[in-house]
Amino acid sequence: MIISAREVCKSVSTEETELTILENVNLDLAAGEVLAIVGPSGSGKSTLLGVLAGLDSASSGTVSLLEQRLHDLDEDGRAAVRAGAVGFVFQSFQLLPGLSALENVMLPLELANISEAGSVRQRSMQQLADVGLEHRLGHLPAQLSGGEQQRVAVARAFVSTPKVLFADEPTGNLDRATGDKIIDLMFRLRAEHNTALVLVTHDESLASRCDRVLSMNDGRLQ
Amino acid sequence: MLQRDFGLAWRQLRREFRLSEYLVLIFALVLSVAAVTSVGFFANRVERAMAAQAATLLAADAVISSPAPITSEIYDRAAEDGLRITDVTEFPSVVLTDEGETGLVSVKAVGSAYPLRGDLKLSQQLYGKEKTATDVPTSGTVWIDPRLAGRLNVVVGDQLVFGDNEVTIASLIAFEPDGSVDAFQLAPRLMMSSDDLADSGLLGEGSRARYRLLLAGDESSVETFVEWFEGTSFPNMRLQTVEEGRPAVRSALINARRFLGLAAAVAVLLSAAAVALAARQIAERDMNTGSLMRTFGATGKTVLRVVLIRLSLIALLATVVGCTVGYLAQFGLSALLGQWFAAELPAPNLTPLFGGLMCAVLALLGFCLPTLLRAIDTPVLQVLRRDMPVAKPSMLLALSSALIALGLLLAWLTRDWKLGLLMLVAMLIVIGILTVISRILIALSVRVKSGYLRRALESLRRRPESVSLQIAAFSVGLLAILLLTLVRNDVLGAWQRQIPDDAPNFFLVNIQPEEVSSVESFLSARNVQNDALYPMIRARLETINGEPVVDIKFDDRSGERFAERDFNLSYLQEQRPDNKVIAGEWWGSDPSAPQFSVEEDFAKDIGVGIGDELRFRIADKVVVGEITNLREVDWESFAVNFFVVGTPMGLDDKPATFVSSVYVADKQGEFVRDLVSEFSGVTAIEIGTMLKRVTGIIERAALAVQYVFLFTMLAGLLVLWASVLASRRERFREAAILRTLGASRSYLASSTTREFALIGLLAGLIASSVAALIGWVVIERVMELSYEFNLWLWVIGIFAGMAGVLIAGKLATRPVLNQLPIAVLQSQV
Repeated sequence: MIISAREVCKSVSTEETELTILENVNLDLAAGEVLAIVGPSGSGKSTLLGVLAGLDSASSGTVSLLEQRLHDLDEDGRAAVRAGAVGFVFQSFQLLPGLSALENVMLPLELANISEAGSVRQRSMQQLADVGLEHRLGHLPAQLSGGEQQRVAVARAFVSTPKVLFADEPTGNLDRATGDKIIDLMFRLRAEHNTALVLVTHDESLASRCDRVLSMNDGRLQ
Repeated sequence: MLQRDFGLAWRQLRREFRLSEYLVLIFALVLSVAAVTSVGFFANRVERAMAAQAATLLAADAVISSPAPITSEIYDRAAEDGLRITDVTEFPSVVLTDEGETGLVSVKAVGSAYPLRGDLKLSQQLYGKEKTATDVPTSGTVWIDPRLAGRLNVVVGDQLVFGDNEVTIASLIAFEPDGSVDAFQLAPRLMMSSDDLADSGLLGEGSRARYRLLLAGDESSVETFVEWFEGTSFPNMRLQTVEEGRPAVRSALINARRFLGLAAAVAVLLSAAAVALAARQIAERDMNTGSLMRTFGATGKTVLRVVLIRLSLIALLATVVGCTVGYLAQFGLSALLGQWFAAELPAPNLTPLFGGLMCAVLALLGFCLPTLLRAIDTPVLQVLRRDMPVAKPSMLLALSSALIALGLLLAWLTRDWKLGLLMLVAMLIVIGILTVISRILIALSVRVKSGYLRRALESLRRRPESVSLQIAAFSVGLLAILLLTLVRNDVLGAWQRQIPDDAPNFFLVNIQPEEVSSVESFLSARNVQNDALYPMIRARLETINGEPVVDIKFDDRSGERFAERDFNLSYLQEQRPDNKVIAGEWWGSDPSAPQFSVEEDFAKDIGVGIGDELRFRIADKVVVGEITNLREVDWESFAVNFFVVGTPMGLDDKPATFVSSVYVADKQGEFVRDLVSEFSGVTAIEIGTMLKRVTGIIERAALAVQYVFLFTMLAGLLVLWASVLASRRERFREAAILRTLGASRSYLASSTTREFALIGLLAGLIASSVAALIGWVVIERVMELSYEFNLWLWVIGIFAGMAGVLIAGKLATRPVLNQLPIAVLQSQV
């Protein structure tokens, strides 16, 4: 099992009251499976994605990612689980503005100390060529269009051939046509690498392309 | 692992290097390093000059100096210990040329073995070929300082009237081992053989001469002698060994280093503020980078290492560039001050580089690291949720690390913990006061109703903290520079203005008792306005109320200095009209008992009052008397005055010379020539030349400190740049919205021009007003002179303020004007 979540709750205390964001969430994701989580804004989709990826910790319940129990690990331990095995695509691209397209793609490989199967640089260039950006290697994010930036982000997500990819509203900042191209690209690469995918979206048509769709409402999965 | 982190850090830095916040950070560090190393390199050169000369600094292994001829007991002992010896006698005098030119000289009569260590270099013409002297001047000849040759327009072979004799200039002195590093030596050197001294009629009993005995020999013999000398009591004699160096030069160097260090410290403080501001901007960027790196599996340690490597690279870069700038800048300092310390300064060594690196590292550790470290603690979840609360650096940590770093830097720069701490507190108070003043001015100015300045005023109202910081930072540097200009012009000017036109312009010293009446008739025959002739006796204060002065702990350092050295006593029967008795009574009930009258400030310095008993040693006799009154003396009158005056009883039988001050209205050269030819031992010291020399020294010192303060002004501009950067995002957005609504580029440009011109105007106004206020307080209250407000101070201050702030502000906001509105509105910047 790639992901296994049991009775996961997440709440935060504000000055006046305790706010529940996730309530008794149970979820399993098999290798290569594609899961969409849909729901209105503020329903807790992104929080769940953060908890499943180990970016955030649950208030109670257990989450296992790649057979590792996340709540037993500290921040660095969770980072080590992600290194080289987990990819991300964000709504706001999240490229490092100071690094070129190529350097952004190289980053996960370097951080995971992956150097076999060709040099880090070669592999990253290959990955950028795969997303059709072989002519944009030295460009900085600010010099690229929104669609191109998201393609760099997709290349960065797949370069380490991750076992699972988390995508948070990947087309949210793009127009329809560009968004569709990105999704096609993501699904193609996912299939090639047999990567499991957790896709958070409020786009029903996009969700329908997934193996399984779960709907989130007020912190509960239905 | 390290290689990977280095690669990551390097790549980030290489790209981000061009971003404004990194430029501010690097410029600020470069400025601090440059300010610190320029002073460091200069001090290093002077220290090296002194070290190179240490062996020959005394022209001997040890020197005994004394205001009276050295006793034969010492000569015998030196001979017994197998030491080589030679005599040196130094005293001031005046020489005359055939053309009637006169010049004050510092005479040095040397024994035949001089110098015992080191070489004396001579030349036949100015800057001509140098050769080592193998002998001392032969009878009837002298060697002179090239400065004297230039001043009197004489060359080798010319004659000079000197004392009772006419002498020939045989050589120019190119290098004098124990004389060339004499800081602040007033008169140029004239060297003669001590064999000629007796016939010259220059030295009478009680003359103001300094006698020195130079000693040299093998180390153990010198040690044996030194031990014997220190174990025996020789009042008024002082032994100096090579290790002690030249205390006058050393303390001049320490003071110069301290003042320049303080000036550099202000530049470092402001640069540090710019570093802190830039660090906040960088941290904001780093939070994003850090959380993204951790999303992809980097550990906290990796992120920390990348940050540290990046900072180290920045420190290294700033050190290299800063040290280069500092090295070039020290040439300016050497040109301004170098001649005080040595004829030629050697090249510096690399030690100041370490100081530069330390400065950069401390500034980064104290002002940058704590902020950046918080970036590492940003929740990883920030990549998903932009609305996550941003980690704010702990104020306590940031403040305490900044204060510790500053304290260390200041203590190191001033080489004095207490002074460093005091300086830190003083600087924070000054900046605090300037910030408060600017806040008040901002509050007042936003009430101004002006269509022309509307947008500029709005900007001030919206960002009062940032604007008052900008004003305070810039006005600190400007204030320092204006204040020093004020010292150079107004303070010295005010002091010179108050000297009456007919104030004495010559001191006549070394008048022998038997010459008193003939000098008096010489003066009255020439209708020269003169003060009375006062007796002057060299004495040393031995005890106060029976307690030896060496055992007394003085509150005041000048008191200690006076108590330790010889000073001049006088005696007088009747009270002088220009000395006012402010306590006690002039020679009270029993004028036949020895009594003393003490100048009020001097009494405070050595902690004595009426009724206290003083004991003085005069040669081998002692005089004991009670203080019966305190006097107020007007030192600015240039009349001859004494700290301590006694009753004639007990003093008039002691060896004395007489001294007077005179005002010679015209034909001064003729007067000196006649005086010297009639009274060969009398020396006329021209006060005007001395004044010029002293004001020259103060002016140069102020100019040198001002030079270092240029770094401070640049640092002030960097703070401005950094704080504009902090508001840049807001400015981008405003500009984009305004342009979308139809504002032209020139409209936006002119509103930023008005905003920064207004800030510059306020900074200039504050700096010039505070400088004028301090000038007024110093001149009117402290110096009790009259201060004339100088309108130019405001004109220059406001112009410099507006120009500086406008340039820096326009540079900092240029990207705002050049940005496409759409890019801003789509949040791509």
